[in-house]
Amino acid sequence: MRAFLGLLLALAIGALFWWGMQTKDERSELPSALAGRPAPTFDLELLPSSREAWGERLNLSDYLGKKPIILNFWASWCYPACYEEAPILEATWRRWKDRVLFVGVNTQDELDAAEKFIEQFGISFPNVYDPRGKVGIDYGMYGVPETFAISVEGRVLERFAGTISAEKLESMIREVLP
Amino acid sequence: MRRWLWVLVFALGLAGAQTVGNEPPPDLPPKVFEIAKKLRCPVCRGESAAESNAGVTEEMRRQIAEMLAEGKTEDEIIQYFVDRYTEWILYEPPKRGLGLVVWLAPVIGLGLFGFGLYSYLRAASRRAAELEGVSEEELARAEAELGRDDEGGPPS
Repeated sequence: MRAFLGLLLALAIGALFWWGMQTKDERSELPSALAGRPAPTFDLELLPSSREAWGERLNLSDYLGKKPIILNFWASWCYPACYEEAPILEATWRRWKDRVLFVGVNTQDELDAAEKFIEQFGISFPNVYDPRGKVGIDYGMYGVPETFAISVEGRVLERFAGTISAEKLESMIREVLP
Repeated sequence: MRRWLWVLVFALGLAGAQTVGNEPPPDLPPKVFEIAKKLRCPVCRGESAAESNAGVTEEMRRQIAEMLAEGKTEDEIIQYFVDRYTEWILYEPPKRGLGLVVWLAPVIGLGLFGFGLYSYLRAASRRAAELEGVSEEELARAEAELGRDDEGGPPS
């Protein structure tokens, strides 16, 4: 009986140790408080390169309820993750721009560096400038890059943290399409 | 004597510099850091929003300061961050649900250790008591048998 209890205790400690080793702190696996909830809105100045096509400012509430939205948080200092996903975002935007709106949120960055990044990748979807990173906190962002899929009803359906792949982005788009 | 005075001045200066370094920057009230200490830095490991210098925590502290200026309470401010990040953002796990396990684990561990130690000591004292109950005659016989074993041991 005693040996059995000892074995049981050893097994329990071993299982706890194993569980502790398995628990990952990957950002993409962390919970999002926004899932299924209305997307927080913002009204921010657009980056100068986006102004010709989209105007001086972008108020997200003007677009919510009209089209699904892919919201991407990035910064020019986020290397290499943001640099790896920028061409993917641009190519996917060009393919889907009739049905989905892409909005970039440049976070805690220098204006000149952000503009250089836009130019480097030929980004054509609208990008707002958020030097304080306030919108990131509203979205419960852990760090750049992060991408959110917002349904046509204006609800956050999915969040992806880290460099997004073309496949993942396509699957997010299919999820938000009506 | 004069040298010691200089050493004392230097030591005091160093202590002063340490104090200044640990104090919150003058532009934010200490209450901001008190609240930020209860929140996790989203991009760091094991750091609170008060200690971290990451951009996101700077903004968190700024937002805390703004909310305090608006007259919001500490609970309301903490709830603001929980609404955006879930309870994951709390630096100390909540004392309920799975969080309770984290709080109780050291107590349970200490209890198990105490129980193990108690069982071992009780068994040891029981063995000692059993030895005390052995008569002189039995002890002498055992010693004699041990002596005989030593003499008749295997040749080396």
